[in-house]
Amino acid sequence: MSNDFSWVYEMHPWRLALLMVSLFVGFYWVGAIFIRPFLRLLVRRSPGLNDLIGYVLSCFCVFYGLLLGLIAVTAYQNYAEADQNVTREATALSALYEDVSRYPEPFGQDLRWLLRDYTRYVIKYSWPLQRQGIVPQEGTIRAEAFFDRLLDFQPKTPAEEILHAEALRQLNHFLECRRMRLFSVTNGLPASMWYVMFVGAAFNIVLCWMFDTRFMTQLVLGGILAAYLGMMMYLIIDMNQPFRGEVSITPDVFEVLYRRMDDE
Amino acid sequence: MNIPTAAALGGSSRRRTSRRAALGEGMAATLAASRLLAPSLFVGCSMGVPPRAASVLVGLLNSQTGPLAIGSMSVRDIETHAVERFNAAGGLLGRQLSIRGPDTRSRSELFPRRADELIDAGAVALFGCWSSASRKAVLPVVEGRNALLFYPVQYEGNETSRNVVYGGQVPNQQVLPAIEWLAGDGGGSRRKVFLIGSDYVYPRTTNFLAKKWLAEKGMTIVGEEYFPLDHADFAPVVGRIVESGADSVLNTVNGEGNINLFAALSAAKVDAATVPMVSTSLSEDELRSVPRSQADGHFILSNYFQTIDTPANREWIEGFRDAFGRDRVFGDAMESAWILIHLWKMAVEKAGSFAVDAVRQAFADGLSFAGPGGPVSLDPATQHCTRYFRLGKVRGDRLCDVVLSSETPIIPDPYPQIAFPGWKCDWTRGGIERGPEVTIDG
Repeated sequence: MSNDFSWVYEMHPWRLALLMVSLFVGFYWVGAIFIRPFLRLLVRRSPGLNDLIGYVLSCFCVFYGLLLGLIAVTAYQNYAEADQNVTREATALSALYEDVSRYPEPFGQDLRWLLRDYTRYVIKYSWPLQRQGIVPQEGTIRAEAFFDRLLDFQPKTPAEEILHAEALRQLNHFLECRRMRLFSVTNGLPASMWYVMFVGAAFNIVLCWMFDTRFMTQLVLGGILAAYLGMMMYLIIDMNQPFRGEVSITPDVFEVLYRRMDDE
Repeated sequence: MNIPTAAALGGSSRRRTSRRAALGEGMAATLAASRLLAPSLFVGCSMGVPPRAASVLVGLLNSQTGPLAIGSMSVRDIETHAVERFNAAGGLLGRQLSIRGPDTRSRSELFPRRADELIDAGAVALFGCWSSASRKAVLPVVEGRNALLFYPVQYEGNETSRNVVYGGQVPNQQVLPAIEWLAGDGGGSRRKVFLIGSDYVYPRTTNFLAKKWLAEKGMTIVGEEYFPLDHADFAPVVGRIVESGADSVLNTVNGEGNINLFAALSAAKVDAATVPMVSTSLSEDELRSVPRSQADGHFILSNYFQTIDTPANREWIEGFRDAFGRDRVFGDAMESAWILIHLWKMAVEKAGSFAVDAVRQAFADGLSFAGPGGPVSLDPATQHCTRYFRLGKVRGDRLCDVVLSSETPIIPDPYPQIAFPGWKCDWTRGGIERGPEVTIDG
């Protein structure tokens, strides 16, 4: 979902859900009042009309349902993957912190401070930016500062050599996880998918308008269908960008790590 | 033909809803529901509330990699801490402050580029720079674009700008009192001084001044050497210090070079009691990178030491440690940066504006701030700060005992007449008065 609609992520989940349901139900009802009479002029009343529309609708719903289901699963997978990347990054950071804690002073202290500084930045500055869909830049500077300082270290004993090699390996893993997190900040469904989803929902509704039923039945049954479509859209929007919205990935794992770093 | 009513046929007496009536009722209900739900539905999203006041950008010019990172990262942290506190207290003039701190990589040529970018991004003030070379590189940018730079490090003087506020000591607040101490009984009546420094404008200008003061005190310069900022092998020069018979060293080496210099002194077993080294560009914060015992007994010139035992200093230390870690160590540039950002805040509040000209106008009557190391005033004539002179002796835990302190803050003199005759600056009365050009070697 493009930045033009970024305001939806600033809404509380129940408000967003209510908005989506209201939009779909409202659209259905307004259409039932103003558009349905014209549709009925086009599709003349005939004995088997409802059956015909029913067949078309069920056929359409199979495809649309599959699409919607797959998209919902993809959105959830993106979310879960981003969540895993965050956990992996924090775990790698923690292991790296353990490694550098064994470096001789003053290197050990410098390196620990730099990692703590990185963690603090991630919690206090990266996350709020990620929540706005912005890829934070200054974490890179902190990671580079750590890398530079680590490379300054010249091992003097075989034990230090092993420790240094392990720290460099762990650093690479951490940087990889960090890049994955940054990539997932702007991860989301492409615009074409959104178009297909909304056009599909509109077709669904149009087909329902064509049913020859009593007006109140049309409003109630169609309203229920539209409300459920709205709920599905809400679900996909909410999970589309893993760091945005009220239901999003939080920096909890980094906060736990930072508290531990600070306590030592 | 009479058509029986539904009631007469025994059917339901309920009135059937006509389509027109249902339409009307449905519309009314939808409108009523929309009206009821809209306020709560759109609260907090950009469609329903006026846009929040945009934050104001503050630019930080600090090196986070390279040889100068050792001290300037702590300055970045204290500036960040100050901004976070301002924001927590409601911001400045009702607006939150945001910070942007690109890495200047300890490369002087990157400072003006980053300064330009920050000003382009809308930074209302710049805080930082470390070496004088970096400050001088930024000077044309802030003067050309009428921006304000707040510079927190001690420097060589011989400079004033309407676009820079200087928070660190100048030589009359730092090196001159130190030379008097070295020459006197307290310093051991030293007579032979070796000058060692990094090769750029600060060490060369400071030593240009020091040489004049040393000569006035009847002291001899037995050696003078300069090295690049990233120089690592100080063993040969330490050998020459020993050979020269120097009884004291005035050290203007900046950044990580100090770590290697102390290592070389320690390896050559130069005793701090016999040949004390007095360092001008070193603080307790940077001493943490020097292995224990290597710097014991040597001296540091500063306006601030972490060991100053006052409630204001303890409170400052606690506040920063709560936010950035219990084991953080403090230095004079950090204290100066803290003071400068508060002086800027006071000026902005006084001016009621973030505009550079208005803020600078607010300096005109002078501003004072109770810093962690004592009271500080901004001298409106030079836009430099009054600072204490303090001499610290390095102890085993790499902190310093204050062995000498001026009783009151010393008024800054960026142009000591002994070295820059005829040069004066008073921004409240016309600005810079130029004397004859002074050439400084190197």
